[in-house]
Amino acid sequence: MEWIQGVFTSSPTIESFAIYLLITVPFLLMVLGFVTYAILAERKVMGYIQLRYGPNRTGGRFGLLQTVADVFKLLIKEDTRPKLADKGLFILAPVIAFVPSFMVLVVLPYTETLTFANLGIGLLYFIAISGISTIGIVTAGWASNNKYALMGGMRAVAQMISYEIPLLMSLVGLVLFAGTLNLTEIIEQQQYVPYILLQPIGFIIFFICALAELNRIPFDLPEAESEIIAGYHVEYSGFRFAFFMLAEYVYMFAMAGLITVLFLGGWQPIIGLGFIPGFVWFALKFSLVVFVFMWIRATLPRLRSDQLMEFAWKVLLPISLANIFLSAILKELFF
Amino acid sequence: MDGEALAFMLLSALAILGGILMLNLRKVVHMVLAVVLTFLSLAGLYVTLSAEFVAVVQILIYSGAISIMMIFGIMLTKHNSKERRTKTPVRTGLVGIGVIVFFITVYYAIENLFYPTEATNLHVENTEQIGILIFSHYVIPFELVSVVLLVALVGAIILAKNKEADE
Repeated sequence: MEWIQGVFTSSPTIESFAIYLLITVPFLLMVLGFVTYAILAERKVMGYIQLRYGPNRTGGRFGLLQTVADVFKLLIKEDTRPKLADKGLFILAPVIAFVPSFMVLVVLPYTETLTFANLGIGLLYFIAISGISTIGIVTAGWASNNKYALMGGMRAVAQMISYEIPLLMSLVGLVLFAGTLNLTEIIEQQQYVPYILLQPIGFIIFFICALAELNRIPFDLPEAESEIIAGYHVEYSGFRFAFFMLAEYVYMFAMAGLITVLFLGGWQPIIGLGFIPGFVWFALKFSLVVFVFMWIRATLPRLRSDQLMEFAWKVLLPISLANIFLSAILKELFF
Repeated sequence: MDGEALAFMLLSALAILGGILMLNLRKVVHMVLAVVLTFLSLAGLYVTLSAEFVAVVQILIYSGAISIMMIFGIMLTKHNSKERRTKTPVRTGLVGIGVIVFFITVYYAIENLFYPTEATNLHVENTEQIGILIFSHYVIPFELVSVVLLVALVGAIILAKNKEADE
C-alpha cells in the first residue's frame, strides 16, 4: 500500500502512466462488479420488502447471474436511433453523462493509503464534476427529438440545480468544523466522533439532496415511468442505454462513498475495534448507506413535481442556512 | 517539451476550438455545448496555473450552473432553433481590421510584459490562503461584492413579482 502512495505522488512519466493504467483498470472493473451486484441486491432487497422473492432463477437460488444476463441482453440488442434525432449529440450524450461519474471516484479516500488523488479541494471537486453529468442528461433529452425525453431532461435539470444548492449548503457546517476541504483530512478528524453526531441536521439534508441528485425514488421525476415513460433515455437502447444505467449506479457508488467519508468517518474503526482493517470498515459503512438507499426506494412513493421544487427551496434551503449559523455558533463556543 | 507545456497546448487548443465552434455552429444547443467545452478547458488551464480552487469553481459555476441556465433559457423561450446569417463584405472587412488591430495590441502588450520571479509555492494550501486573504486583507471589497449580489438578487425577485401582478 505504501508503494501505491509512492506511485501516486511521483513525477509524471510514461512509466507512471502505465502504472496508473494498471491500477485504475482493475478499479474500474471492481466498480463494474459493484454495479452488477448492486442492481441484483437492489432487486432482491426491494423484493423482500414488498413480500416477493426478486430474481431467483438465473444463476442459482439467489439469481446471482441475473444482472450478467441482463447486461448481455443489452449488449446484443439492436442499437436503434430515431430518424429525426440529432445524430452527433445522440451519440455524445451518454458519454458526457458517464465520464464524470468515473472522474469523481478518484478523490474518494478508500483507506489511509489508497487514495487516487489527494486533492486539497476534494469535496468541491466531487460536487463540481458531478454537475457535468446534468449536461449529458439534458443533451440526451434534447437530441432524442421526443417530447417525453425533453420533459425528462428538463425535469432532471430543474431538480439537479435546485437540490445542488442545499447539498452544498448542508456541507458548509461540516467544513467549518473540519477546517478543510480535503477528504482525507476530514476523515482523520473523525477519529473519535463521526460528523453524523456533530452535524445531524447537515447529514439529513445532505442525504435527502443526495437522493435527489441520484434521481432515485422519491425524487425520480426525471425518469418517472408512469408519467413520462422513462424520461430522457426513452429513445436509447442497447449499450447506450446501458451507459446511462451504469452512470446512475456509479454515482450511487460515489455518493454512498462520499457519505461514508464525510459523515460516517470512512476507514476509521469504532473505538476498541481497531484490529479490523480500514477497508473492511469502509466497506461496512458503505454497504450500510447503499442499503438505506435501497430501503428508501422500496418504501416511499414519488413526489409531485410542484412539491419537489417547494421542498428544495422552502424547506431544505432555509434549514441548511440555519444549520450554518448553528454550526458557526457551536464552533465558536465549544471548539 | 514537458507535461505542463503539453497540457497547456492541448487545453488552449480545445478552448479556442470551443470558441470557433460556438461561432460557426448553427443550432443553439450545439453552441451551448461548445461553450461548455471552452469553460472546461479554461478550468484545465487554471489547474496548470496551480489555481485549483478557481478551476473547480469555474466548473461548478460556469459549466454547471450558467450553461444549464442558458439551455433552460433556450428551451423555454420561443426562438428559431437555427439561425440564418447574412454576410456583407463591408462587415467582414471591418471585423477583419478589428481582429488585426486587436492582435497587434495584445502581441505588443505581451511582448512588453515584465515577469517577476516565478512563484514556486502557489499550490501549497491555496484554498486556505484564498480564504485568509479574502477575510482579512480584502474584506471590504468582499463585502461590497456581496452587497452588489444581494441587490441583484432582490432586483430579480422584484422583476419576477411585477410580471406576475401584470397577468
